[in-house]
Amino acid sequence: MTIKKLDGKIPDGPVDQKWNQHRFNMKLINPSNKRKFKVIVVGTGLAGASAAATLAELGYQVDAFCISDSPRRAHSIAAQGGINAAKNYPNDGDSVWRLFYDTVKGGDFRAREANVYRLAQVSNSIIDQCVAQGVPFAREYGGTLSNRSFGGAQVSRTFYARGQTGQQLLLGAYSAMMKEVHKNRIKVFTRREMVELVVIDGKARGIIARNIITGELEKHSADAVLLCTGGYGNVFFLSTNAMASNSSAAWKAYKKGAYFGNPCFTQIHPTCIPVHGENQSKLTLMSESLRNDGRVWVPKAQGDKRPPNEIPDDERDYYLERVYPSFGNLAPRDVSSRQAKYAVDQGRGVGKSGYAVYLDFRDAIKRDGQKAIADRYGNLFDMYQQITAENPYEVPMRIYPAVHYTMGGLWVDYNLMSSVPGLFVLGEANFSDHGANRLGASALMQGLADGYFVIPYTLGNYFATEKPEKTPVTTEHPEFEQALKSSASRFEQLFAVNGKRSVDSFHKELGHIMWEYVGMARDEEGLKKAIGLIQNLRKEFWKDVRVTGSDVGVNLELEKANRVADFIELGELMARDALERKESCGGHFRVESQTEDNEALRDDENFCHVAAWEFQSVDTAPLRHIEELKFENVHLSQRSYK
Amino acid sequence: MSDGNMNLKLKVWRQKNTKDAGQMVDYSLEGVSPDMSFLEMMDMLNEKLVNEGQDSIAFDHDCREGICGMCSMMINGQAHGPKDLTTTCQLHMRSFKDGDTVVVEPWRARAFPVMKDLMVDRSAFDQIIAAGGFVNVNTGNAPDGNAIPISKENADLAMDAAACIGCAACVASCKNASAMLFVSAKISQLALLPQGEVEGEERVRSMVSKMDELGFGNCTNEAECEASCPKGISISNIARMNRQYFTSAIKAK
Amino acid sequence: MIARFTRLMSASVVKKQIMGLTGLLLCGFLVGHLAGNLLIFVGAEYFNAYGHALITNPLIYVAEAGLGVLFIAHLGMAVRLIMENHKARPVKYYLKQPTGRGSTFASSTMPYTGTLTLIFLVLHILQFKFGPVYTIVHGGVEMRDLYKLVVEFYQSEVAVLWYVVCMISIGVHLTHGFWSAFQSLGFHHPSYTPLLRKISVGFAVVIAGGFASLPIYCYFQGGM
Repeated sequence: MTIKKLDGKIPDGPVDQKWNQHRFNMKLINPSNKRKFKVIVVGTGLAGASAAATLAELGYQVDAFCISDSPRRAHSIAAQGGINAAKNYPNDGDSVWRLFYDTVKGGDFRAREANVYRLAQVSNSIIDQCVAQGVPFAREYGGTLSNRSFGGAQVSRTFYARGQTGQQLLLGAYSAMMKEVHKNRIKVFTRREMVELVVIDGKARGIIARNIITGELEKHSADAVLLCTGGYGNVFFLSTNAMASNSSAAWKAYKKGAYFGNPCFTQIHPTCIPVHGENQSKLTLMSESLRNDGRVWVPKAQGDKRPPNEIPDDERDYYLERVYPSFGNLAPRDVSSRQAKYAVDQGRGVGKSGYAVYLDFRDAIKRDGQKAIADRYGNLFDMYQQITAENPYEVPMRIYPAVHYTMGGLWVDYNLMSSVPGLFVLGEANFSDHGANRLGASALMQGLADGYFVIPYTLGNYFATEKPEKTPVTTEHPEFEQALKSSASRFEQLFAVNGKRSVDSFHKELGHIMWEYVGMARDEEGLKKAIGLIQNLRKEFWKDVRVTGSDVGVNLELEKANRVADFIELGELMARDALERKESCGGHFRVESQTEDNEALRDDENFCHVAAWEFQSVDTAPLRHIEELKFENVHLSQRSYK
Repeated sequence: MSDGNMNLKLKVWRQKNTKDAGQMVDYSLEGVSPDMSFLEMMDMLNEKLVNEGQDSIAFDHDCREGICGMCSMMINGQAHGPKDLTTTCQLHMRSFKDGDTVVVEPWRARAFPVMKDLMVDRSAFDQIIAAGGFVNVNTGNAPDGNAIPISKENADLAMDAAACIGCAACVASCKNASAMLFVSAKISQLALLPQGEVEGEERVRSMVSKMDELGFGNCTNEAECEASCPKGISISNIARMNRQYFTSAIKAK
Repeated sequence: MIARFTRLMSASVVKKQIMGLTGLLLCGFLVGHLAGNLLIFVGAEYFNAYGHALITNPLIYVAEAGLGVLFIAHLGMAVRLIMENHKARPVKYYLKQPTGRGSTFASSTMPYTGTLTLIFLVLHILQFKFGPVYTIVHGGVEMRDLYKLVVEFYQSEVAVLWYVVCMISIGVHLTHGFWSAFQSLGFHHPSYTPLLRKISVGFAVVIAGGFASLPIYCYFQGGM
């Protein structure tokens, strides 16, 4: 096994000068030459839409692909709470440096310093850009932008648009994109799913897309391919991701040579509505912003089944406030999730299933009045009531952690380029900025930073350096034919199995394995067991899956089967990565590696690196390469939110 | 919350593709839990169809938390079903009773051809947005976010309009298949903010003319759109659009 | 200029504004017409004098032409909108139910109440404007005895009933049409609009009730 030490191509110089210097050093493309380059953007969430819009504004030809009927439906739309920026409008001590510091620390020291600094640096421009697009951020009576605080930070730096910040930012990026569609600089291909990456002479030069409506496979060529396809939380079947969120595009890229970074880093969000039954299709998140005013508690006594309002204060355990007095209910996500799990494991969980804790607004309502609380969280409360038929103004919400975000993703260098030249990965789909845990309101920031302010520079540099226009390719190239054939045969195979079990039944089984062994707490024995179980599941899938309908026209079962087949393989990789990373950090908690008071214990000596996996074959174990992480500005320390 | 599961009769529109004539097909489904969402009930029906070797029912859905605007469905003759301020994915089966017959149809409008079963093509909405539903500002051109103060009242009104999820329930529930609520919500949002106001007159003309060109009907102020809008977008936006259009059309050169 | 005009007239927003504007102007006519006709209650002499003044004023032709244009514009636009709206949904729903929070009986029956009004209008003009000519002399001036014509006409229960039904229909039409015109013209306010909707109902009751009282009064004036 040859282990490569990967080069993240981090520019030299002090961390606060790296991006500025790099921008100056990068080569430019003459404005009139930009139209000669064609870029494929797969996915139209925050990262994809912002990238497509900005690249088109610069003059590139952009082909944008989305899986839904409109680019506006990407799952970024569901982000509720807000977006961070180091504006320091509240004058409470924030700065670019502090946002950088908080994000590195929040990520439990497993992210690149240089990337995170750049993210903090451009965060302010994102807010300005969104305001200019007409994003209706919340405002104060004086007409200035309003801020609130979020988990993992002691300053108020989160900008928000009610409980629909993701929606408003996405609609802003979408409208910027439609502005370019109007000018014929972007062509949008809706209801398309990328099913193969086409690599020619070692460079990404196009994709095969499946038209979901007709079932046809289409060839699309370009000078570079941008994957902005989001995360892979749906490996767990139940997650807060949208139903169509999937990992297939990233997985195809992985199989074509792009390395997969830190696949085991998944975020379990502490405030979701608990599972109600076996037929449940997805979990619904309650924004973390609720923890600003809600207090998390469980009964002190085990098995206390009294209705919550009948449990007196001295018999309640406000465990986050007790364990983390300085951060209290705003402790970071991984920490809060794990504490909820402990409470439930101790038999102090609440609700019918016992898999829940309370999030109580009684005191906030008493303090600020119901109207003030409704102004802040009205839509979230309504949503909760709609799903559970309980009124959270009167009884505390029941919440439980659920899979929400994946910090891992395709490995990229500082320029957001994967290990396949010409293949760039943006947003949640890449592994880069959040380390082992993402702070609240940072995902929106990263997606937009990548799309609006990073890729426009680094892609130009790639074109100017590599000159792909000198070797033009068309879809007539034999590699396209080859890719088309292999995709077609995969779909034929899915039909050919003609077994007895539905696709969903496999997906649910995979989800159970992942949640049980690769969920909030992982250990060696469990992970080994999981790998075996997943391998068996994969074999079983290809022997017994049943796909009805035909490959002509809309076929939801076929789409799902294709995605689940990839999820199964990815699940195995996640378990492998979790097994090899014998330390706890952020969202990755190895039972063997914890402090005396059950906090994640890092092993900086052996694991202060990114693991980047290289595909071999489905039946051969992948290679684990590493990229060393150097911390020159933030002192490596045990995270403490006490 | 009742623990009793329900048995339902379903009448679902089945149509192979845009050209197919389509028809209502009867199904029955047992053991539906009142805690399930409407779409989970549809999943259950599909699982049953797949196990019987039949083609599953195609319907649009994605986020299942009421924000992406992908889910559609006329349920018992109402867009997104009987509850107000609710998308189909957030409609729970506790709104139905054991033994109920539930009629499920796709959105119907000339501008939204049916693609399969309950899936329709809503790209007309994208075309309307592309005609002017944006602020013409390129990345990097923005002044500081606090450079132009915006009154809280206007920011809130803009947000009310911007909450539109583009699901098209307004078109589906309007007896004239008019898209005015959708179009006016975008026009209002941008008209209420200084950033968007600059191009306001041009925007209202081009978006309205695109809407007309795509074959949507005319508004007769019945307000069924507002009543069935899962986000409660107000028809005051339509009035604002009417007002803006009038002045803009007269002033246009 | 003509191209610009036709383009403007074909815009959906403008079409409904024309509906609203012509509708409101016709409301104005109704108010005037009702005010004049209420003179029946004052006495035959006054009523006939009012009629005479109207008929003999040369401006009546301009006013009639104006009214004609308004009616035709309102009607023509209605027909055009109904046809377009019908085309906007070529495949109808198997089942369609109102939410109960939006449309009203009035709003969903506008084409029917409108059609009934049109039929009423044609008959009304034939019955009175082109009806039998009686004359009478008031204060030395010979004039048409419209009072006699009206009272005579409304001795028939059928005629009274028809008239009352038509007035109720116009009233229903107005409860939606009146506030709706303001909405189409771009007036909407969180507190004035709900008030306006109440005023619409009040206006409709006054107009319909006012007009309906006339034939009933005439019916009981019979045999004098």
